[in-house]
Amino acid sequence: MQAEGHPSACVSKRPLPVEFVATVAILTCTYALLAAGIVILYKAGRVVNFAHGELAIVGGYVFYSSGLMAGGSLWFAILGAVVFSVVMGGFIYATMMRRVVGEPFYVAILITVGIAIVLKSAIIVIWRAEQVTINIGVAPAVRLAGGATLSYMDLASIIMTITFFIALYFFFTFTRLGVQFRGTAENPLLASQRGVNVNLVLSLAWIIAVLAATLSGVFYGGRAFLSTESVTIGLAGLTAALVGGLDSLRGAVAGAFVVALAQYLTVRLIDPVLSEALPFLILLVVMSIRPWGLFGTVEELDRV
Amino acid sequence: MKKQIFCRGVTAAAIIACFAGFSAAQAQETYKIGYITDLSGPLAGSYTPTWEGFELYIKALNDRGGINGKKVDIVLDDDGLKADRAVAAAKKQTERDQVLGIFGLSLSSTQGAVYAEMRKAGVPVVTTFSGIGDALPPAQPFSYSTGVVFEVAGDAIGELIQKIKKGGKVVGMTFDSVGGRAGIAFNQKSVEKAGGTWDQVLFPVTTTDFTPFAQEVAAKKPDIVVGHYGSGQNLGVIPALRRSGYNGPYVVASYGVTEDTVRQAAERAGSGENIYYVTRYSSSFDNNPSVAEVAAAQKKYGTSKPFSSMHVTGWALGKLAEAALKGCGWPCTREQLDKTIQSLKVDIGGLSGGPIEMSATDHYGPSYWRMYIWDAKANKLEPQSDWLKKGSQGYK
Repeated sequence: MQAEGHPSACVSKRPLPVEFVATVAILTCTYALLAAGIVILYKAGRVVNFAHGELAIVGGYVFYSSGLMAGGSLWFAILGAVVFSVVMGGFIYATMMRRVVGEPFYVAILITVGIAIVLKSAIIVIWRAEQVTINIGVAPAVRLAGGATLSYMDLASIIMTITFFIALYFFFTFTRLGVQFRGTAENPLLASQRGVNVNLVLSLAWIIAVLAATLSGVFYGGRAFLSTESVTIGLAGLTAALVGGLDSLRGAVAGAFVVALAQYLTVRLIDPVLSEALPFLILLVVMSIRPWGLFGTVEELDRV
Repeated sequence: MKKQIFCRGVTAAAIIACFAGFSAAQAQETYKIGYITDLSGPLAGSYTPTWEGFELYIKALNDRGGINGKKVDIVLDDDGLKADRAVAAAKKQTERDQVLGIFGLSLSSTQGAVYAEMRKAGVPVVTTFSGIGDALPPAQPFSYSTGVVFEVAGDAIGELIQKIKKGGKVVGMTFDSVGGRAGIAFNQKSVEKAGGTWDQVLFPVTTTDFTPFAQEVAAKKPDIVVGHYGSGQNLGVIPALRRSGYNGPYVVASYGVTEDTVRQAAERAGSGENIYYVTRYSSSFDNNPSVAEVAAAQKKYGTSKPFSSMHVTGWALGKLAEAALKGCGWPCTREQLDKTIQSLKVDIGGLSGGPIEMSATDHYGPSYWRMYIWDAKANKLEPQSDWLKKGSQGYK
């Protein structure tokens, strides 16, 4: 028997805060990427995307399958995920969302619900609802005090999320297209009259949003696993976006942090079974006090 | 005009009569049984290989000429792990497809509803690989199981893990389901009976990122951790536990967990050390003629999932189905089938430690459990105990 004689030494003493900070940071990154995509779509076209979790998980599956097809090649997996994001983002806008520009906002919401159902079915049909894990970079990279470890994938998720948000900042602040994007978000009619290609801006918004979702799906698949059930991370992303403010990228990060922290503390301090319910409780509280979220713009609220 | 309508009516009636006659003849020529399981829901990865094992057995059986000269026809339905879909499928199979009995079923949460509905319809239901207490004595009518009834599994696991460390601190993990709670409740009883201490961590059924839960378990400083759930959860929990600094013994309670899952989890954890596996049916690595027979059928007919103990589990259920239909004779009715199952003793050779036995009051019978350890170097399971026989009394 392998464990005889030393089992009590199986868990070494370690300070809780180190792994607490690491876990919350990684969860925050996953949710922030999702929330960022939701915020970008809302800012650009006032669309609340209920298919974001499905896009994330399907993106993760595409990354997995692309890598598998190329004998485990990371570069091929990345290429597959990028192609998926561009094609899927462009496709959704060109074939569905473009047609409902100017329609009541709930029309677009209903379309995203439909997209979610189709994508979930695609997981069942294409991947036979297989639970898959992304085994790239899962080896321990950093050993924290006391024996807990962070994998290369964990580190990549933190670095890539920070890079993504910095890139977004530079894009919106310093590029011509970014400024056009902001103009479109402010007033699409005026932007259009001033020569901005609104369709290009909106399709770009969808591509960036799907790319962010795919990134989070890949990191999630590396840390947990991808399945039809995993699409529920979309709800965490949506909660983060709503808590932070649907039109604020800064709020997306703050909201993601609040949701991640709430989930972690519920598991550790209250009752693990409640971990999925508590973020929604926080959402209800925030919505009842500040319906526009922590960093959102106070504007006229539409009610479904 | 009237004549034309009359002729058309006669022709239509003749066609319908032909089809009806054909269907009746078809129905009479085969033993029609139902199979319901999760083929598209969250636990499809666990339930599909069990279905495939059952299907393999029936294919091989039909190729041998069937039973009493009649082939066995399976009506398959997917419940997606939803109780309402499972009940709807069961009703469809009994009312429209006229099946003699229903086999398989998925998670514990779907079983109670199907059992209850089929009791009303007088249709025997035999669950496999996971089961609820309805089959345990005093058994509910028409409710049988050849699989892992959680109460018995929890008890057996508690006893077997004493071989890893006697009287240590055990932390049980499960998702919040009827079966999961039953499993850890009896696991706790047998651990405490052996002088050990117990703690537990439950998580929501839909959880897919287990890191915070694993950290909670690691913080409890256990000597042994036991996981009462399916493949996907093990795939997430084992690496999460190792990442959280817990490298001690982890026991996979095999509720549909394949050997390939253990291999994958070990790879992701960075080490396959200290991973144990407790199962009611033999591992696919076992070297005996019965397992070899399943492996040969898998090679011949093919399956979508890698060969595993779940195929062995499905195959064992197939053996029971054959014995039941054979005993039922021809023509077979639901009542006769139910009566036959109640007196079955099916020799399943090396697929487990002993036969599957049922009686009028005990629809589960004695079961046999074995613990394996994952050999990371050889990438296979090695037995760590003999078969442990557990009776079915005293769990209600």
